[in-house]
Amino acid sequence: MSEVVTVTIDGRQVEVPAGELLIKAAQDRGTYIPRFCWHPRMKPVGMCRMCLVELETPRGPAIVTACTTPVSDGMVVHTRNETVQRVQEGVLEFLLINHPLDCPVCDRGGECPLQDHVMAYGPGESRFVEEKRHFEKPIPISDLVLLDRERCILCARCTRFSEEISGDPLIEFTDRGNGVHIATFPDLPFSSYFSGNTVQICPVGALTATAYRFRARPWDLTAVESTCLQCTAGDRISIQASQNEVLRILGVDVEPTNQGWLSDRCRFGFQYLGSPERLATPLLRDATGDHVEASWSEALAVAATRIGDVLQRSGGQAVAVLGGARLTNEDAYALSKFARVVLGTNHVDAQMDDGLDPQFLAATVDRARIGDLETAKAILVWGPDLKEEHPTLYLRVRRAAQELGAKLVVVHPRRTGLDDRATHKLTYRPGEGADLLTELVAGTGRAAEAREALAEGPVVGLVGRAGYGEDPRLAEAVAAFVRTLPDGKVLPLARRANVYGALDMGLAPTLLPGRVSVAGEGADAIAEAWGGLPDHPGLDARGILEAAAAGDIEVLILVGADPVRDVPDGDLARRALETVPFVVAIDQFLTDSSRVADVVFCADGFAEKEGTVTNLEGRVQKVNRIVPGPGQTRPDWSILDDLARRLGVELGLTSAEAIAKEIAEVAPAYRGVTWERLDWEARDGIVVPEEGHAPLRYVPADTPGARHGGDLVLHLARVMYDDGVLARHSPALAGLAPGGAVFLHPDDATRLGLGSAEQARVVTEHGEATLPLRMDDTLHRGVVYVPFNQPGVPPLGPGPGVTVTPA
Amino acid sequence: MTTQLRVITRRMTEHPADSHTLARYEATGGYRQARRAVGMTRDELVELTKESGLLGRGGAAFPAGLKWSFLAPARPAYLVVNADESEPGTFKDRQLLERDPHQLVEGIIIAAVANEVHHAFVYVRGEYPKPARRLQRAVDEAYASGYLGEGIFGSDYDLEVTVHLGAGAYICGEETALINSLEGRRGEPRLKPPYFPAAKGLYMMPTIVNNVETISNLPHILEMGPDAYKALGHEEDTGSFLFSISGHVNRPGNYELPHGLTWRELIFEVAGGIRDGHELKTWIPGGASAPWFVPGDHLDLPITKNDTGKAGSMLGSGAVVVMDETTCVVRAAERIVRFFAHESCGQCTPCREGTTWLEMILRRIESGAGREVDVDLLLEVGGNISVGLAWPPRMTTICPLGPSAVSPIISITKYFKDELLAHIHGGGCPFEGGER
Amino acid sequence: MGIYPAGAMSRWSPETRERARSILARYPEKRSAVMPLLYLAAAEEGYLTDEGMAEVAEWVGLTPAQVQSVASFYTMYKREPTGRYLVSCCTSISCMLLGADEVLAAVEDEAGVPAGETDEDGVITVEHVECIGACGGAPAVQVNYELIEGVTPDTARELVRWLRSAAPDSVRADEMQELFGTRRSFDWAIAEHAGAVGPYPAFEPYGTTDGHP
Repeated sequence: MSEVVTVTIDGRQVEVPAGELLIKAAQDRGTYIPRFCWHPRMKPVGMCRMCLVELETPRGPAIVTACTTPVSDGMVVHTRNETVQRVQEGVLEFLLINHPLDCPVCDRGGECPLQDHVMAYGPGESRFVEEKRHFEKPIPISDLVLLDRERCILCARCTRFSEEISGDPLIEFTDRGNGVHIATFPDLPFSSYFSGNTVQICPVGALTATAYRFRARPWDLTAVESTCLQCTAGDRISIQASQNEVLRILGVDVEPTNQGWLSDRCRFGFQYLGSPERLATPLLRDATGDHVEASWSEALAVAATRIGDVLQRSGGQAVAVLGGARLTNEDAYALSKFARVVLGTNHVDAQMDDGLDPQFLAATVDRARIGDLETAKAILVWGPDLKEEHPTLYLRVRRAAQELGAKLVVVHPRRTGLDDRATHKLTYRPGEGADLLTELVAGTGRAAEAREALAEGPVVGLVGRAGYGEDPRLAEAVAAFVRTLPDGKVLPLARRANVYGALDMGLAPTLLPGRVSVAGEGADAIAEAWGGLPDHPGLDARGILEAAAAGDIEVLILVGADPVRDVPDGDLARRALETVPFVVAIDQFLTDSSRVADVVFCADGFAEKEGTVTNLEGRVQKVNRIVPGPGQTRPDWSILDDLARRLGVELGLTSAEAIAKEIAEVAPAYRGVTWERLDWEARDGIVVPEEGHAPLRYVPADTPGARHGGDLVLHLARVMYDDGVLARHSPALAGLAPGGAVFLHPDDATRLGLGSAEQARVVTEHGEATLPLRMDDTLHRGVVYVPFNQPGVPPLGPGPGVTVTPA
Repeated sequence: MTTQLRVITRRMTEHPADSHTLARYEATGGYRQARRAVGMTRDELVELTKESGLLGRGGAAFPAGLKWSFLAPARPAYLVVNADESEPGTFKDRQLLERDPHQLVEGIIIAAVANEVHHAFVYVRGEYPKPARRLQRAVDEAYASGYLGEGIFGSDYDLEVTVHLGAGAYICGEETALINSLEGRRGEPRLKPPYFPAAKGLYMMPTIVNNVETISNLPHILEMGPDAYKALGHEEDTGSFLFSISGHVNRPGNYELPHGLTWRELIFEVAGGIRDGHELKTWIPGGASAPWFVPGDHLDLPITKNDTGKAGSMLGSGAVVVMDETTCVVRAAERIVRFFAHESCGQCTPCREGTTWLEMILRRIESGAGREVDVDLLLEVGGNISVGLAWPPRMTTICPLGPSAVSPIISITKYFKDELLAHIHGGGCPFEGGER
Repeated sequence: MGIYPAGAMSRWSPETRERARSILARYPEKRSAVMPLLYLAAAEEGYLTDEGMAEVAEWVGLTPAQVQSVASFYTMYKREPTGRYLVSCCTSISCMLLGADEVLAAVEDEAGVPAGETDEDGVITVEHVECIGACGGAPAVQVNYELIEGVTPDTARELVRWLRSAAPDSVRADEMQELFGTRRSFDWAIAEHAGAVGPYPAFEPYGTTDGHP
C-alpha cells in the first residue's frame, strides 16, 4: 500500500506513493497541473484534456492526461515544456470557442477555474471567427439549480456526481459530438437532495443556484469555516457572507465527515437567518394576551418573578426544560447547569420523544466512527432512511457499498434511498421488528441470506428508529446484535442538530455533562463543582409533556423547541402547553409552541455565535460566527446567566469560550477539549472521549421492546423537507416539502376498498386527516406510511394503531 | 493480371445462390473445424492462431493470437465480434455477413473455445439490417442444429450468441466504445489504461473484441493449418486481405488479395483503372482516417502494413478510395472532416471542438470566404488534436477519431496547397459544380 | 417497479412486452437491452417518444434521463415524428465522388422538403447520412434502412414518386434495387423477402420486419 516510487517532475525528483494519479502526486509535491474535469472525490474521466503532460517513454515522448496516469517508478514527466504549453493552450482555445465570455454577469466570475486557467495557461486571443454554439440561456433544471449550457465546458463533474456519488442520475449528457449538452428529462427535474454540490463543483458558471444567483461577487464575500447543524453528521462547511448577511454555504472537503459534499438542506437551509420573521426583541403578553415587544430587563424580571414563585412554592419538580438540541455545547452546558443548579430539576430533555435512550446515544460501547465505513466489509442499516434524515451519511454508506465493495443490508418498512446498492433488503411492519431481528440473529427464514452477508467483519451497524411507530428499544437490540458480529461497531442514530452535544452536556434526565450518569461515577464531582444537584428522578420529553398535560408542571421552558410540531404525538404537546400555567421560550421564531409562551426571549442563531458542537460519532468541532443576530438577540448562555442572577444564583458564565474551559474541566468526556486546539491543530475535530476520559460505558440492552400488531400499523417517518420552522422560513426550501400523503401497498388498498381512490381518511388515536392516497408496492404489507410534519397535516402520531377508509 | 484469392470469399463465389445457408455451408465442409476446436485446449488454439500470424482486420492490424493471449484469467470472459463497419470506403464485412454468415458463426465458435467464452455478441451496425437478418438466421440454424446453445456438438461446452444492432454511431467501431454501447451506454470510448478489454471489458470482465473478417478467417486457419495460411500472404501480412475499392475506378468492389502487390496493380489492374477519359489524382489507401497517397510518390509502393506505415499512412480496414482529376480536394477533405465531426462522441475537448472547427474552416474556404491565414490555422488547429501532425498521430484526445480528421488536412496542405490557395484567392471553388 | 418512479403502467402491447422480456433474457445485464428496447419503443409509436424512453427506463432500471442520454447519442433513434418512409441519402466521401449531392438534391426536390424534415403528409422524411457501407455501389440511398445502390438523380426521383404512389406496406431492398438501383458493391445473389415496415431497422428479434423470412 504505502510503497513509494521516485518520479521526476520538471527535472525535480520527488517521492510519491506508488499508483497514485500523477495529477495528485504532482500537486502534493508542489506542481499544480491545470484541470477541469478531474475531481479528487470522483473517478477520472480524462475528458477535458487540460491536464495533458508529456511523459518520457522508451518509444519517445508521449502525451498523456495526468488525471488518468498512475505514477510508476522512474517516470519522467514534463508539465510545462513547450509541447505541453502548446497543447494546454490549444485545449483552452478549444474550450473558449463556444464559451460566451459573459463573465461580467456570471456568478462564477472572479472564482472561475476557466477564467483562472485562461489567465495562467491560455492563448492571448481567439482565432475562431465562426458562429458560436447557441442554447437558450439559463433554464431551471430544478427549484434550486439553473443551467446555462453555453457556459458549460462538458467536464461531466455534475453528471458523474449524480451517478457516482448521490445515486440519482437525473442530469446527463445528451446528443453527441459538438451538440453534446447537459439535460434533464422533460418534466422530470433534477430534484436531487444533493443538487447543490453540482453547483459547487462546476468549473464554470454553467450551474448556478437560484438562492445565490446575482447576490454577490466573490471578492465581496467574507468566509468562515464552521460545522453544519442540519443533521448530526457534523459536516464541515464554509459560511460566506457579505454586509452582515449570510449568502451561501459551501462544503469543505474533510476526510472524517462529509468529504466535501452537502445536502441541499444544509447548503440552502440558512436563509431563515435573514428572515423578517426572526425575533429581534423579547416578547411579553399584554393584558389582552397578545405578544408585545419588551425590553430585556422587563422580560427577564417577569420570568424571574414567576419562576421564583413556583420554585418557592412547588420546588424544581414542578419545572421542566424541553429542547436544547440546536444549541452549541457551551449553551447546552449553560442550560444544563441552569436547570440543575437554578431550577433544581432533572426534568430536562433535548430529545423530543423521537430518539433513543440518551445513554445509548451518548456512550454506547463499541461506537463506530463514520470513517469505519471506509474499511467495513459489511454494513447493516436498520433505522431511518439515511437519505432522508442523514443525507451525508447516506453518501458515505453508498460509497462504501458502491465503490469500496462493502456488503450492505438495509432493514426498513419500505423503500429507502440505499436499496439500489443493498446486497439484501428486508422490510417489516413496525412493531414486529423483534421477530425479524430474531430471524436475523439466528440466520433463518427470510433473513438467512442477509445474515450471511454480515458474516465477515469489520461490520458497522447504523441503528436508529425507522419511524415513530417503532419502539426505541429495538434499535438497542439491533446494536446488541451488531456487537456480536466480527469486529462489530455501532453508530446509534439521532437526527436533530447538536443533539449529541446536548446529551453530552447533560440535557437528558439521566445524564450530566461529560457522559456522566446522574447516579453514576463522576456525578459527585459535578455536584461538587456546581454546588449540588437535584435528587429527584427526571422525566424525559414524553414524561414532561404527560405531566404537564396532567397539571403537574407549573413552569415549562422551551429552548429552541417546538414540541407541537416536533414530537410524534403533537396532540399531547398541544394539551401540555395549554395546561402549563407559565411557559418561557428561548427561540429565533414564534413557533406553534412558542406562540403560547408567556415570555419569549430572542436568541442568536447559527452563524451568529461561536462555540463547539458534537456529531454522531462524538466528534467535537467548532461552529463560528460571521454575522450578528438581528436586533437585540443574545446568546442563550447569556440569557440564562442573567435569568439565574435575577433568581439569586451566580452561574459564573462570562463568555462562550470561558464556558468551554469550564466544560473541559467539569465534563469528564470533554477533558482537555479546548477552542485553541480545535481552531488550530484539530480542525477536523476531536472525537471524545479521548484516551482515559470515559466515565460511562453504556452496554446496549438486548430487549427489543413491545410487540404490537393489529391489521394496519402506522409508519410515521421524516423526509428531507418538512414543515419545520427553520425550513419554513428558508425560501429556497420552503416549497420543497412534498406535502401530506398516505402510502399503502396496492394489495392493502384493494383489500380496504381503496383501489382507485385518490384520497383516504386516516384515523389514529391522536388525530385524523384526509390525505392524498399513493400506491407504494415497496411497503411491507399492512403498513400505512405517512411522512411526518408536512404542511397542513394535523398531528397523527405516533401510532401504531391506524385505520384507513375511503374519504 | 493479379489473381484474386478465394479463401473467405470462396463459397460465395462458387455458390452464389445459397452460400448463406446451413445446407450449403455444411456441404462445403462447414462446421468441421468448429467441431474440432471444441475438443482442443485454449493453449492449442491460441498457439495455432499466433503461428498463423493472423492480424486483426478491423484497422489496427494487431496480431489476433497475441490479443487472445492477453485475456485476463477472471471469468466469465466475453467475445464481441465487431460488425460495426462504418469507416467511409469500407463495405467488406457487409458482404461477409450477407453472403457467408455461417463462416462467421463457425469462427465465433472457434474463438469462443479459444478464449473460454460462453457468451459471444455480434455488434452489427444499425444500418445493416439485411446483414443482421442473414446472420441471425444463421445463428438460429446453428442453435437448431446443436452448434450453439447448451452442449455444442454434443460436448459439454455451452455457447450463447447474441446478435445486437447498433443505432448509428461510427465511434462504436472503437472497441471500448462498442463495449459501452453493448452495455447500454453512450458509445464513448473508455480510457486505456485502465480499460483494456482483455482485462476489463464487457461488464468489466475480460473481453476479446475481433472484427468480422478476422473471425471469418479462423475456420480456414484450422482447416489449412497455420503454415499454409501464412503462405497465402506476403511476409508479415499473412493470409488474404479484403480490399474495398471505391470512387472513380471502373470496377469498384471487394477484392480478396494477398498483400505485396503495388498500388498501381491494385488500382489499374484489379479495379480496372480510372473511369474513361480521366486520370488518377489521389487516393486514400486505408479508409477515411488515413492520410492520402498521390501518384507521383506512391503508385509503385508495395501494399504492405510496413511500407504503407513508413510512407506516412496506413492500410487500416483496407478501404481504398480513388479520386480522379475532377475532384475538388477541399470538398473531399471537407466531406471527410465533416464525417469525423459528425461522428465525434463529444467527450473530449480537442475532438469535439476541433473537428467541428476544422469543418467550418474548410467549408468557408470552399464557399469562397477563405483567408490566407486559414491554411496555417488548419494546420495549427489540427496540431492541437494531433501534435506535430506526426504519423502515427500523437493524440491529445482519448481515441484516434479526432486525429483521423486531421489526416485530410495534412494531405491537402501537403500535396494540394496550390488548389487550396486557388480557392482562397479565387473566391471559391474552381471546379465545376463547386461553390463560389 | 424500478427504483425511479417513471410513469405508471406499460403503454406497450402485450406482444411488445413479451418481446421485451425475451430480449432482456438475451443479456447478462439488463441495461444492455436498452438499445433493442429503444427500437421496440420506436416501432410501437412510429418514433421514439418521451413516454417510450420512460418505459424503456422502467424495463432496464435506469432513470429516463439516462435513457434519453443513450438514445440521443445514436442517430437512428428518431425523437421527432418521422414519415412513414425515411429516405436516407449517403453523402460521405465515396458517394459524394459519384454524385451523391445531386441525388440528395433530387430527393429533396421531389419530396418537397429539405434534408432533416418530413413532408406535410407525413409520408417521407429526407435526411442525409454519413457512410452506410455501400461505397462500391455509390451513390447509395436507404429507405427505412433498406438499401439501394447505384442511385441516380433520376431514379431517386422515381423512388420518391413510387413511395408516394405505391405506398408499400413494407419496403424491400431487393425490390427497390431492381426498380431504382444500378451498380452494386457486390453480387447480392439471392433476393430476400423480409421488408421494413417503418423508419427503424427491420430485424426479426425486435419484431420490426413484415414477418417474411
